[in-house]
Amino acid sequence: MSAAAPTRDLTPRRPAPDAAEATPRRRAIGRPSPWVYVLAAIVVFFTLLPVLVGVIGGFRTNAQLAENPAGWPDPWVFDNYLNVLQGSQFWRYTLNSVAIATMSTVLVVVCGIMAAYPLARYQFRGREGLFTIFVMGLLFPATVAVIPLFIITTRELHLGNTWAGIALPQAAFALPLTVVILRPFLQAIPKELEEAAMLDGTGRIGFFWRILLPLSRPGMVTVGVLAFVGSWNAYLLPLLLLQGDMRTLPLGVADFSSEHASDTAGVFAFTTLSMIPALIFFLTAQKQIVGGLQGAVKG
Amino acid sequence: MTTADSAPGAPSAQVPPLEAALNARAASRRGRRRGGVDVRTALEVTLFVAPALVLMAVFIVWPVLRAVQWSFFRWKGYGPLEDFVGLRNYVSVLTSEVFQGAVLHNLIIVVASIAIQLPLGLLIALLLNRRIRGRAALRTIIFVPYVLAEVIAGVVWVQLLQPQYGIIDQWLGALGLPSPEQGWLGTPDLALSTVIVVLSWKYLGMAVILLLAGMQGVPDELSEAAQIDGASYWRTQWHITFPLLGPTMRTWAFLSMIGSLQLFDMVWILTKGGPANATTTMATFLLTEGQRRSNYGIASAASVVLFVVALVLALLYQRFILSRDNTVDRPAKTPRPRRSTPKAVTA
Amino acid sequence: MRTSLRGTTAALATLAVLSLAACGSGDSGDGGSGDATGDGGSGGDAVTITWWHNSNTGEGKDYYDQVAKDFEDANPGVTIEVSAMQHEDMGTKLDAAMQSGDMPDIFMERGGGELRDKVDAGLVKDITDQVGDQLDVIGGQAAGWQVDGQTYALPFSLGVVGFWYNKDLFEQAGITDTPTTWDEFYDVLDKLEAAGITPISVGAGDKWPAAHYWYYFALRQCSEDTIKDTVASLEFTDECWVRAGEDLEQLVAAEPFNPGFLTTAAQSGATSASGLLATGKVAMELAGHWEPGVMQGLTEDGQGLGEATGWFAFPEVDGGDGAEGAALGGGDAWAASADAPDEAVEFIKYLLSDEVQQGFAELDMGLPTNPAARDSVSDPALAQLLEVRDSAPFVQLYFDTEFGQSIGGAMNDAIALLFAGQATPQDIVDQTQAAADAEK
Repeated sequence: MSAAAPTRDLTPRRPAPDAAEATPRRRAIGRPSPWVYVLAAIVVFFTLLPVLVGVIGGFRTNAQLAENPAGWPDPWVFDNYLNVLQGSQFWRYTLNSVAIATMSTVLVVVCGIMAAYPLARYQFRGREGLFTIFVMGLLFPATVAVIPLFIITTRELHLGNTWAGIALPQAAFALPLTVVILRPFLQAIPKELEEAAMLDGTGRIGFFWRILLPLSRPGMVTVGVLAFVGSWNAYLLPLLLLQGDMRTLPLGVADFSSEHASDTAGVFAFTTLSMIPALIFFLTAQKQIVGGLQGAVKG
Repeated sequence: MTTADSAPGAPSAQVPPLEAALNARAASRRGRRRGGVDVRTALEVTLFVAPALVLMAVFIVWPVLRAVQWSFFRWKGYGPLEDFVGLRNYVSVLTSEVFQGAVLHNLIIVVASIAIQLPLGLLIALLLNRRIRGRAALRTIIFVPYVLAEVIAGVVWVQLLQPQYGIIDQWLGALGLPSPEQGWLGTPDLALSTVIVVLSWKYLGMAVILLLAGMQGVPDELSEAAQIDGASYWRTQWHITFPLLGPTMRTWAFLSMIGSLQLFDMVWILTKGGPANATTTMATFLLTEGQRRSNYGIASAASVVLFVVALVLALLYQRFILSRDNTVDRPAKTPRPRRSTPKAVTA
Repeated sequence: MRTSLRGTTAALATLAVLSLAACGSGDSGDGGSGDATGDGGSGGDAVTITWWHNSNTGEGKDYYDQVAKDFEDANPGVTIEVSAMQHEDMGTKLDAAMQSGDMPDIFMERGGGELRDKVDAGLVKDITDQVGDQLDVIGGQAAGWQVDGQTYALPFSLGVVGFWYNKDLFEQAGITDTPTTWDEFYDVLDKLEAAGITPISVGAGDKWPAAHYWYYFALRQCSEDTIKDTVASLEFTDECWVRAGEDLEQLVAAEPFNPGFLTTAAQSGATSASGLLATGKVAMELAGHWEPGVMQGLTEDGQGLGEATGWFAFPEVDGGDGAEGAALGGGDAWAASADAPDEAVEFIKYLLSDEVQQGFAELDMGLPTNPAARDSVSDPALAQLLEVRDSAPFVQLYFDTEFGQSIGGAMNDAIALLFAGQATPQDIVDQTQAAADAEK
């Protein structure tokens, strides 16, 4: 990733994010033997076990759970889920989570792609130094600075108990990884495209706007999903900053599980339901993610 | 700060704009020359990078500088900052047996995460890279744990791992296997290993997705050529796919390392660093000191040390491992080796 | 109803609390972050007071809302912004509020070294001059909330720690009398083991429940004077501190605790120490006055152990210097932030009034400090505790509270290590002393 020889960069690289191009041609080598499915089954089992315990636990009564924690619902009970869905709290928390995660994601994607563009495609002195700043950002865990962060957000910026007060710092902490992923992705877009655009009289900003942005959609989806999931799952900062009706789902899970400490099945149901939005978001975007990360790891 | 100035903080404000623009246009049309002061480039770069840098400056750098400042004081978390103690907080962090143990645990987790997740991740990525039924579903499933909140996943694992009453112990019992009397998380000698297993479960999906993405960048022709030459499936992977995955593996390992060094949420939920400090990490140490004991000076010193450790490891990694990507692997990306025989790549 | 669940755990404990946390939680109103502090001052015409408390469920929450409303009605122009929060959350937010200087006007305060630190930092209002009458009423109970002779908070609930036990399981094991000495206690352990019953649950994962054992042994081994001197000098030189650890080491060696006790949580969920006692999986647990309330929250029928709930005091130690009947305990007090308006102090006085404390006692929200409310306590177990408390020669504040978080935290960590067999009695004293030296 050194900027050592810009001229060499001009030699045609392998054309571009080739997920789209490669997939149709992709052929599995050899025919999978049955043990491949056995292996797949084992992987699925261990991956989903804890999740299924939660999901299925939500369909059981507390008495069933107490009798045999590993059992199957008998009979199936839907009250746990219905109670959660019919309560207003769940929806209120979901709205806050969606709003904050969306704000944070938009910020991350917009700022991230803007920052990654010159880092990937401009030649200027100090470029690697600038990139190093973003890499260094990876080294700061949010936990380290959470108390000073809290003080700055509430006192200096007066953003306590607001959506923005959570979304802005979350975006900041997600930016380093975003830029690190997006830069190689943008680098992989062939120079020829840019040169052609220049010949047509399009400036670099025009190129960014009209060609690069559409082409880098998979990369943006990838970092967007990572940012969304990160924001969705965050606990510590929302705990410090949000109160009352502004709370997010993880805080809601915490409250629910403490309020209904004896209602294990209800806690399972609430927990399961709160996982769903992030899962859906991931599922809808997951096809693009592999393509997006591919750009990142090809570096 | 953001007044009428269109480019906040642009250092180039003094340069006559018209001249600069002309220079820039000339320069950019020729495809960017090194050396000359390209004001337009500077302006554009500033414009593009500024929002990200401002966000990071306000919400990362500023708080971190505060933490650095606190690390030189004895401070309970409230009241004025006036009890300057020099490096005393650093001395007490570095001489603390608990902190030394925490550093060791972090390093063990760094190594174990890579040693467990890399082979497993490769295996599963290979599996998912084949044309098997339900591949798309599998790919989604493997990523599910990564999407779940640490708090939620941790809570469920704690239930599964309960001594005696937990599902895992019950199943082991049904199979006639013994389980530790104090529980998997409650036995000091087993707790760290158990935490590592849960971490592997949580983060394996990330390794798989990255490796899978990398594999899709490996040209099929190479493997096909090798297979036609009669190489077995595993031989082909070993000699062709894995070497070409080098940069991917190194990138993933870097991210994994950073994550392991900063590990907090999951450990806190599973064990709170216990039993008997068997699973403390640097991050749990600093939060225990800060939040539980109100020794904000010591906690800040610990966070500075954590940062320095991460920085040193990151630089070493960059110097000795990632640097290969800039030299050895670069030729492999040019089109030529594609058409060459496998041995050119494996050499 | 749990007004004063203990938790030395602050901010991040809440992460763990997620599991299935201790206190109930309700939807608090908008958490006011002390925006009233500015306009308070000296009782102008309109004053807003922010009040944070942790009775955030059911009747307790309703009661405090009513109390605030009554006060508003009686004092036109005064508005009270009530924030009922989950206990651990409240601790986190209070820490953060103190750091940012944006404090609520009235908050809960545990006293001891923690309060001393806040007083040193100028965060707490000196209310000595305004609360003379209330001090006469509650007497020596306020001692833990006084610094250098000045009063900074009024305790509204003060409880003591002891063994809660399951009467049915004791009967099943053939135990007729509760133990008063350690020899008898070890007999009880043997009988329970013989009956196949796990004797004790302890939430050593949270550390402070384990530390209570050492505190109590120290209270039995050390005289009141020794303790007072040590609190003042921070020199743990008296040999009684080591003897406390030796007594504890002997108990741990008998292996009476629930499986996995080293990571067991104190009060959260069915697998916590309280949950195990509430569901009949163990025979007893060392805990404070909050225990019946916690257990009720952990059983589906909301009854806890119900009729089977029993209580006995921490047994006496042979040859100890401690005063007979001395009790370990702690409580919660109402404190006002340094810049709170005078009306806030008036409200605190109202909270300690006969009327409010009686209502508080009727709802079993805690052990009232105002003697006028004594007879209003309806729960028999709590009534028994009240007697024990009032007949104790003195009530020693939990040592981690007494010595403050820095020293107390080191002490608790070392004690937890002894439970894991990785520290000696001397280590506890040494590590506590080291933390104390750093404070000087």
